[in-house]
Amino acid sequence: MSIMEINGGSVIAMVGKECVAIACDLRLGNQALTIATNFEKIFPVTDRLYLGLPGLATDVATLRERFRFRVNMYTIKEEREITPETFARLVSSTLYEKRFGPYFVEPVIAGLSPVPSASGKPEKWEPFIAATDLIGCLNFAKDFVVAGTSSDKLFGVAEGLWEPDLEWEDLFETISQTLMNAVDRDAFSGWGGIVHIITPDKVITRTLKARMD
Amino acid sequence: MASADGGAYSYSLTVFSPSGKLVQIEHALATVSQGTTSLGIKASNGIVIATEKKSSSLLIDSSMLDKVSVICPNIGIVYSGMGPDFRVLVAKARKSAQAYWKIYGEYPPTKVLTQEIATVMQQATQSGGVRPYGVSLLVAGWDINRGPSLYQVDPSGSFWAWKASAIGKNMVNAKTFLEKRYNDDISLEDAIHTALLTLKEGFEGQMTEKTIEIGVVTVPTTAELEASKIGAETGRPKPTFRKLTEEEVRDYLAL
Amino acid sequence: MPGEMAHHPQQRQFNPYSENGGTILAIAGRDFAVIAGDTRQTEGYSIQTRYAPKVFTLTDKAVLAVNGFAADGNMFVKKVKQRLEWYRHAHAKDMPLRAIARLIQTMLYAQRFFPYYVYNILGGIEDDGTGAVYSFDPVGSYEREACRAAGAASSLVQPFLDNQIYFKNQKAAPGSAHPTHLPLSTVIALVTDSFTSATERHIEVGDGLEMYIVLASGSSGQGLEGVKGLRELSTKGEAERVFVIRRDLKKD
Repeated sequence: MSIMEINGGSVIAMVGKECVAIACDLRLGNQALTIATNFEKIFPVTDRLYLGLPGLATDVATLRERFRFRVNMYTIKEEREITPETFARLVSSTLYEKRFGPYFVEPVIAGLSPVPSASGKPEKWEPFIAATDLIGCLNFAKDFVVAGTSSDKLFGVAEGLWEPDLEWEDLFETISQTLMNAVDRDAFSGWGGIVHIITPDKVITRTLKARMD
Repeated sequence: MASADGGAYSYSLTVFSPSGKLVQIEHALATVSQGTTSLGIKASNGIVIATEKKSSSLLIDSSMLDKVSVICPNIGIVYSGMGPDFRVLVAKARKSAQAYWKIYGEYPPTKVLTQEIATVMQQATQSGGVRPYGVSLLVAGWDINRGPSLYQVDPSGSFWAWKASAIGKNMVNAKTFLEKRYNDDISLEDAIHTALLTLKEGFEGQMTEKTIEIGVVTVPTTAELEASKIGAETGRPKPTFRKLTEEEVRDYLAL
Repeated sequence: MPGEMAHHPQQRQFNPYSENGGTILAIAGRDFAVIAGDTRQTEGYSIQTRYAPKVFTLTDKAVLAVNGFAADGNMFVKKVKQRLEWYRHAHAKDMPLRAIARLIQTMLYAQRFFPYYVYNILGGIEDDGTGAVYSFDPVGSYEREACRAAGAASSLVQPFLDNQIYFKNQKAAPGSAHPTHLPLSTVIALVTDSFTSATERHIEVGDGLEMYIVLASGSSGQGLEGVKGLRELSTKGEAERVFVIRRDLKKD
């Protein structure tokens, strides 16, 4: 029995046109038994950067706090917001620290990264997504990344539904359909979902009403 | 008690004198002000740091001496004061830059590295069994956040940002000279000449490529920044700090 | 004694099964059925061949796709074909699709304690002229469905089909309903997309795609015109028509 399957859960992130989306299911289980149906696995890091942590729930909670600490320290010390790229490296090095006694999570990172401009103030934002394995091996994908107990199903549906340069409304539809149809075929994931769409001027958060079985 | 040499307080590093001074730190500063002159000038499109390199004997191979040191591809430092102490600080600074790279996948911003060095230097003013570092540093670097920046760090561990500064022997004269010469939109080329001119003021002996060391910070173009990104051609940052070669120094001296 | 080896009890085991990758898929329409499979055959991380068919015509209106352990699959198809021939000799007609389905169950369950290590999907036309898909587990449990994926990439393809064929998690526009049967052109497009997607993300899927199309008697076959790589297998005059589309899939 895999450790990922103790509590279950899945996360997916997708790139759109000047926007990114990240979504997760809401199940928390103890093996086959569902304990809670409001367990969010995605956490905000900055205004335009989110982190998804599917995996062993105790490690999800621990790492959420660890990353909060490390990002706060970074922000104070460097007097700037952490960029998605830098945060991805931070996630990677934090996980690799525990190479031989790892946290059982498969992080997914989604955000908009500032494009440096002459004026100094970012006017343009570039979509950024990444995922790592449990010891921090980074995967910078250009289309979508998946993680958790329904990763294979997510891959299959996303590969069929995703297309480049989706506007945020269409990206929401694509990521929602991908998530729901994938978790419906996974006993360890499901029971509703949450989607965050990150655009340059706002983050849209929506809860998905899905099958509850 | 309060005699000219510091009296009873002069040997303790960590005990304040009644006048509120830590005399060992003052002595360290005295060491610095006996060291050869170093200076830095922030230009509109970069920074120059330069120093006089003096050897005590004709027989010394001066090409071995390094007074301007690269810490990481975007930061370099120069010192006035004790050479061996500088060497130790360079080693610590390089290690710190690499440790930062291991965590964040990029080199530290100038301010963060300066802070890191300053912390090391401050610790030497408060720990048992050590003495303060006998050097002042000029840290020059470029980062995406603040652009080109120039800092000075003193033996006490305090640091400031400068538009232009000088340390070591002649620093008072050099600073006065720089104050007269400096303007906000000076170009890097002009700054290098100003730096050489300033050094010339208090220079003993001949100014040659063997007795001068120069380091420059340049500002990368957007294309260069793009190329250093993840997944791009190289994925490595193009150095924004570099030391000028002897040939380049010779050319600047000839002009 | 030096040089004398200690004798430990040893156990040896023969594993009669293997898993040869690949994926199969079938979708039923109102008056047609599409049965498809890739042609890659693997063992472990090695590709044994880039062309090993997994889809077979049984009768003029029945096509069987077999996936799992290739040796068992081939043997099973051979035996089914033999039983169908005996049936023809005895009754002078082809066995109806629902009867083939029941026959397959019987044959699979006969091996309940040494099963054929295969997943079967049977597609074709029922006696009433409707398109049908029957899916089986290795020991004969079966069900008639509108669509089914099996094999190495079934977990990738099935949820996609749930969404695109059954319209799961989709709401029809007010005052309208989702179609119960999709047109042939849509089905062919979905099957193609399913296999290119599976090829993209699964190492055991790729090389070639074979897509069999069975049209019911009187079916227009609309949606087949101009399709690349199409070949008719049936001869003129037969009630049902069988076509095959062969396509290349990525070989990496």
